[in-house]
Amino acid sequence: MSQSNRIDGGLVNRNQPYSFKFNNETMHGYGGDTLASALIANGIKLVGRSFKYHRPRGIMSAGSEEANAMVQLRTGAYTEPNTRATVAELFDGLEAKSQNHRGPLGFDVMAANDFLSPFLSAGFYYKTFMWPKALWEKFYEPVIRASAGLGTLSGQADPDQYDKGFLHCDLLIIGAGPSGLAAALAAGRAGARVILADEDFVMGGRLNSETHTVDKMEGSTWAETATAELYQLENVRMMTRTTIYGSYDHGIFGALERCTDHLYDGSGKPRQILWRIYSKQSLLCAGSTERSIAFGNNDRPGIMMAGAVRSYVNRYGVTPGKRVSVFTNNDDGWRTAIDLKAKGIDVTSVIDTRSIAAPYNVANAATIMGCRVVDTVGRKGIHTIMLSSGQTMKTDCLAVSGGWSPNVHLTCHQRGRPTWNEKQACFLPGGDLPVGMSVAGAANGEMTLQAALTAGHEGANNILSSLGINTASAKASKASAESAKITAFWHVTESRSRAWVDLQNDVTTKDIGQSFREGFKSVEHLKRYTTLGMATDQGKTANVLGLAIMAECSGKTIEQTGTTIFRPPYTPIPMGALAGRARGKDFRPFRLTPSHKFAEEQNAAFVETGMWLRGQWYPIAGETHWRESCDREVKATRESVGVCDVTTLGKIDIQGRDAAAFLDRVYANTFGTLAVGKVRYGLMLREDGIVMDDGTTARMGEHHFVMTTTTANAVSVFRHIEFCRQCLWPDMDVHLISATEQWAQYAVAGPNSRKTLQNLVDKAFDISNEAFPFMACGKVTVAGGIPARLFRISFSGELAYEIAVPTRYGDSMIRALMKAGKAYSIVPYGTEALGVMRIEKGHAAGNELCGTTTAANLGLGMMVSKKKDCIGNVLSQREGLNPDKPLQLVGFKPVDTTTSLSAGAHFVTKGDEATMANDEGWMTSVAYSPILNCSIGLGLIQDGKNRMGEIVTAANPLKRSSVDVEIVSAHFVDPDGDRLRV
Amino acid sequence: MSDFNFVSQPVLGGFSQESQGVSITEQISLGIVSVACPNNGDEALAASAKKAFCCSLPDVSGVEVSDGGTMRWLGLQPQQWFVLFEHGADQGDPLAIIKDQLGDTAYCTDQSDSWVSLEISGPLAISALERICPIDLHPAVFPVAAVARTTMEHLGVIITRTGDDQFLMMSAASSADSFLHAITTSVKNITA
Repeated sequence: MSQSNRIDGGLVNRNQPYSFKFNNETMHGYGGDTLASALIANGIKLVGRSFKYHRPRGIMSAGSEEANAMVQLRTGAYTEPNTRATVAELFDGLEAKSQNHRGPLGFDVMAANDFLSPFLSAGFYYKTFMWPKALWEKFYEPVIRASAGLGTLSGQADPDQYDKGFLHCDLLIIGAGPSGLAAALAAGRAGARVILADEDFVMGGRLNSETHTVDKMEGSTWAETATAELYQLENVRMMTRTTIYGSYDHGIFGALERCTDHLYDGSGKPRQILWRIYSKQSLLCAGSTERSIAFGNNDRPGIMMAGAVRSYVNRYGVTPGKRVSVFTNNDDGWRTAIDLKAKGIDVTSVIDTRSIAAPYNVANAATIMGCRVVDTVGRKGIHTIMLSSGQTMKTDCLAVSGGWSPNVHLTCHQRGRPTWNEKQACFLPGGDLPVGMSVAGAANGEMTLQAALTAGHEGANNILSSLGINTASAKASKASAESAKITAFWHVTESRSRAWVDLQNDVTTKDIGQSFREGFKSVEHLKRYTTLGMATDQGKTANVLGLAIMAECSGKTIEQTGTTIFRPPYTPIPMGALAGRARGKDFRPFRLTPSHKFAEEQNAAFVETGMWLRGQWYPIAGETHWRESCDREVKATRESVGVCDVTTLGKIDIQGRDAAAFLDRVYANTFGTLAVGKVRYGLMLREDGIVMDDGTTARMGEHHFVMTTTTANAVSVFRHIEFCRQCLWPDMDVHLISATEQWAQYAVAGPNSRKTLQNLVDKAFDISNEAFPFMACGKVTVAGGIPARLFRISFSGELAYEIAVPTRYGDSMIRALMKAGKAYSIVPYGTEALGVMRIEKGHAAGNELCGTTTAANLGLGMMVSKKKDCIGNVLSQREGLNPDKPLQLVGFKPVDTTTSLSAGAHFVTKGDEATMANDEGWMTSVAYSPILNCSIGLGLIQDGKNRMGEIVTAANPLKRSSVDVEIVSAHFVDPDGDRLRV
Repeated sequence: MSDFNFVSQPVLGGFSQESQGVSITEQISLGIVSVACPNNGDEALAASAKKAFCCSLPDVSGVEVSDGGTMRWLGLQPQQWFVLFEHGADQGDPLAIIKDQLGDTAYCTDQSDSWVSLEISGPLAISALERICPIDLHPAVFPVAAVARTTMEHLGVIITRTGDDQFLMMSAASSADSFLHAITTSVKNITA
């Protein structure tokens, strides 16, 4: 297809011809085109169908405010729906398709909706499809969603890469139009650290679309010159294709940089980067957005914003029409006629709503003052307009200007509210701006080029002064004069046809009136009821028009009516960019134990415990089910020896003259009496008396302890006791540092654990039962001098030790242990076997330390020393925590030992119904015990200690199971602890 | 002679990579000892550090280099420093190097195995770090011999500037693979 609407001039690079496809038809454009400008060049007017009525729609704007021209860009897994053709940079090989039509774009069968419009007015789906109720989810909603809406997803994983990052600056300038460039020059020349960001791929903003001059240069040339200078300044970071999408606390902004969207192939580099920009000050130079006027059938292809028509003609060298008319309520709209005439394009008429003298003379065009466009004709492209004067005119492009709305969005992201300016007929930044933000240029209502240049320059200088940076002496650039007068005019009341306010959501003036009549009198309600201002454009061209019409309905002023809340993002942000790198296995970091490589070699199954990957079980040849491995590991450990990596337990190095006293305060039980070289089990309470964590603490020296925590609570316990140290008792001489990562620690458990270790620990260290009894600890060396720490403690209930070496020797240590225990058929055991053995022994763990249990619940009430104070001591004595029949941790065995138990089952007296009223407690942990050859459980039940032998029912309605269980001791194995002390 | 073969293994196996202006090197023989000052022991510790290592204790976020450049003292929080020094696996207990000199004037803890230490350097080092490091690395803000604790990709990191475009970063040893992945991905993303 030839570029029938391509004209001379513009900033496109005619030496860079591109081919692209729209709806499978090959077309041509140039470097510097957007998809929209290239479509216009190729004479395409119809580019999509509207949201609800499937009305034919064309391109209406030349920027990110576009409400109509949304396309499905690229193909396959790379496809992206709802891309605005006006900001999609053209590249060679681009493929795009129109959206939201059934059948070809030119013959959409869903266009029948347009004839059903009387039934599809605002809120129709709130009033219809009410019954039968069951059909809503299964039928009505899917049908509505299929017939309305926008593009479609590929259904495949996004193959693109995304990244995030952090930037810092003295001054963030948002927008590189005239005010932004002027500000950047002032701040950059003064040496400030500046970031200049613009969503466009060329800096200059409206300077590239207008024919004004700056410093006696064409505006676009001045912009190019300024940009070139700024690129040379090391202290200025130039960010094109970057949208500042949100303003957050403390001068922090969100920015989306589109890195490869303009390339056919991104070569594996991040497609987009989501930046967090930390600024000392910011200057919002975001410009303004032109809005429409509501009149009959104002949505036809070929009806565009007047400023956009200038953009296409001046910047892109394409004309949206051959016979153009202008409909305006302000002086700026006239510039479209003047610029088009200068390009030799036929301008048939300029219709101005104001009854004033024509502000400009447009040769060979009818200038009609005090008149309005009432209706238009041309289903797939406008060809006729009807005026309030009764005249009818032929035109193939109607350029409309209802005035310009400053882009105040970022000033409002922290609940700021703009203020209405009646003279300029627009909202201006008002109230409290985000910390450190100033506004300059059209975004601040400085609507002429000279005003914008001056405001940018002075705004930057003011900021520099506040930052203590000397300003350069240069003055603001000089621009050609222009007029920017406006008389507000919102909608043509004579129009009988539907007049669109929000083209993206098919909201008409009638919808707004109906919404008001039905009682939705707040603008926020109006928005939700009619969907005005929703979706990708967020009502950039529609909102002011909509609330002005609402104000008319209510008889209030626009100021009284107010605006809806502005929220980030300013323009749509792809979900992929928000996710960044956090996808798949990179969703979060993971931690590996020192024996991880060894475990992989054993084909271990791994389980995530927090961020750790721990060996869950270690299968051997012939084992096909995890239970086989787990049962074998338990039996081998109980019968001989097993080894388990317990590095994940938190280890906190505690030193200081007051270390023992400190531990007495943070633990419920006493540590001041613990001898050097001994370990003690410790119970830690929260301030409210609930158990926080448990573990063992070893006294390595008079003023030196090593505390262990559970894996899950390693961080929270450290944080808690560091808070105690710094904030509660700053006068205590105690210091803490995590040593979790420093030591590779292994549990060696089973009757042959000592013999195994005696093969490994250097002979100088006597670890016999007499020399190194239960709960002893000390420094040893292994394998001829490798430093180690040895603790005789047991979680399994067997004779057991934990031995730690510096992490660099962790891999060697597991292999050495396997070698040292080979004669005893040592096995590595995983967290499953560890769990089984601790349940068999009756040790509480995470399931029991669940944030609701007290020491008394766990049978550890005696540990809460009454001889000293500690965190949680007082509140643990609360009446509510000490009922007559408290929940008590006991064991449970199924009456029918072939039955499996389930954790989470609740206990009721046998024969009672499984109701909340009859609830007596719950099963906290269950396991199959290969020692007892049946399922066993731990649980909390009222008065459990006094109910030994009673049969109760463990009911699990979620699993529809009900099992009779006998209350037994929690210590299924070695209840007297004899095995520990041999 | 022991029957067991114990090998000191760097967390990342001594990782090293040079790619288009960015070098990443694991520091495999770095002794790291935490030094904490007893309450009211500031003067005594300052004196012993001065005497033993010719070192003035830096403020928080400051770094002092002592003993002819062989030791770096990183001020990490009030009353706590990390001392970094070259220390091979065959050179004995790194804790003793510091503890034996400071005696009772400090509480010392060996941290040598707690951290993976990666040096990143080159003209594009800052560009790579921009993708993961939230703190401002501009030389006017974070000059040579500055240190900070921060987070990168959810991981706690101690970062110190050791040259104009050279940084040493320390993160938890157990998540070293994730930390390295964060850095190498950043480098991959910024280089052609």
